[in-house]
Amino acid sequence: MRIIFIALWIVAVSVAAPPVFAQCTSNASSCVTCHETQGVRPVLQSAQIWHVDHGFGDLCAACHGGDPEAAVQENAHVGLRNPLEDPGVSCAGCHADNTWAFAQRYQEAAAVDVPPPAVLPPPPEAAQTSGTTADRVLAAAAALLTLLLFVAIRRELPTERTSIVAWLRQKSWSPYSAGVLLGLVVAFAEVVCGRPLAASGAFDKLAAYPGQLLFPTSQYYSYVMTPGITWQVWLIVGVLAGAFASSKLSGEARLRWLPDTQWEPRFGSSRRLRLLIAFSGAVLVQIGAGIAGGCTSGLAISGGVALAPAAFLFMAGMFAGGIPTAWLWYRGRD
Amino acid sequence: MFDIIKALVLGFLFGWALHKAGLTHYARIVNVYRFRDMTVMRFMLTALVVGAIALQLGIELGFAAGAPVPPTSMLANVIGGIVFGVGMATAGYCPGTIVAEAGEGRLDAWIAGFSGLIVGAIVFGLLQPTIMPALAGVGALGRVTFSSLADANPWLVLLVFAQVVALVLILIAPIGRRR
Repeated sequence: MRIIFIALWIVAVSVAAPPVFAQCTSNASSCVTCHETQGVRPVLQSAQIWHVDHGFGDLCAACHGGDPEAAVQENAHVGLRNPLEDPGVSCAGCHADNTWAFAQRYQEAAAVDVPPPAVLPPPPEAAQTSGTTADRVLAAAAALLTLLLFVAIRRELPTERTSIVAWLRQKSWSPYSAGVLLGLVVAFAEVVCGRPLAASGAFDKLAAYPGQLLFPTSQYYSYVMTPGITWQVWLIVGVLAGAFASSKLSGEARLRWLPDTQWEPRFGSSRRLRLLIAFSGAVLVQIGAGIAGGCTSGLAISGGVALAPAAFLFMAGMFAGGIPTAWLWYRGRD
Repeated sequence: MFDIIKALVLGFLFGWALHKAGLTHYARIVNVYRFRDMTVMRFMLTALVVGAIALQLGIELGFAAGAPVPPTSMLANVIGGIVFGVGMATAGYCPGTIVAEAGEGRLDAWIAGFSGLIVGAIVFGLLQPTIMPALAGVGALGRVTFSSLADANPWLVLLVFAQVVALVLILIAPIGRRR
């Protein structure tokens, strides 16, 4: 809790800092890295219908061609095309049945729509944003909450000191300390690597190997989700190692089939039942992550630190789904 | 290569934090939804505030190329969250904790968890062309943040966010204190 206090203090001190405009995105393709993240002709927030329609995925190359893996512009732009010049090439890969209907809609829009400007317009003056109504409402809310917080935070627990080795070997840390570590890790991933700290995306990429074999004609596996050992895959390899190291040091690493507490009183000691329920849950979790655009780590936490509404809508959904489910499993029991 | 090392190190710390916070326990995860153990919320909300401040500092100091902002599609975010929550409250898993549980030696995560995620990803791949075009368009705002939506200073939004989180943490503090 003390850490939150310090964090609040940092925020409070920094409130007067000038606003920042470069809130872009980053995804797997190098298109997005340069165009969106670094802001060279960004389009994903534009009003052009083709970009709005396709903004749900990292799809630039499907229409525009080029090499989304290449990091250098000269290489990435080889084979670049104007999508509407030949919809048979640009659109038919995904929309084989109704290529012309889509293409005509876009051509109509293109006649009246303006293409994205070649040079980024200068950001609006900082002075404009400091005095908006939204700012004043937020400031008032912050002041009110600070007051409430100050009253509430006074009864907080003291912490005792331990040696570093003992600390590393502890069975568990206060969730606040572990949370601070996770927060710093997420921020480092986003600031230095420009990537979200995501787990479900890695499984999408790994599942694309069997997916492509099983469904060779699937447009999803040909264009949207191509297989690959991505950065996120290496990340989860690290997670595996980190959890092993932490549990090994605290003497908790051992092979077991059932959860340590609460499972057996409710579901009994059948391994098969545990595997069945665990499998079903894992399937649902991954489907949900696919629909929402990320999981607890990739959307809720990574998107949450960027203060994206998507993250908080997802968390609201998690509770809306989880509370009745947990109630159904445990109704009438302690 | 250096990128891979960074991924491994960050993943290591992520897995370490997940284990130390106790998120590798079925009961921990499920009991959030029963309001009996709010460890997961304490862990996540703290990470959110600290991460958000560190991220904004990074952007401010010019280190960040720009944060990866996930696209907001209201209906898809909520529906996905609901399906996710049902799965999470059933198995006591989320994708990250499955990996951490596997690292701790849990065989159900190795066998049922990993295969479930892969099967789930393939099922989503089959559903995606049918359901996503319909879902993704409803309430689609693009890659926005609260500050870009409100046209407000990000630090101000951050301050309010930190306050709200602190209040929530204080409100849930009594839940699950060693019974």
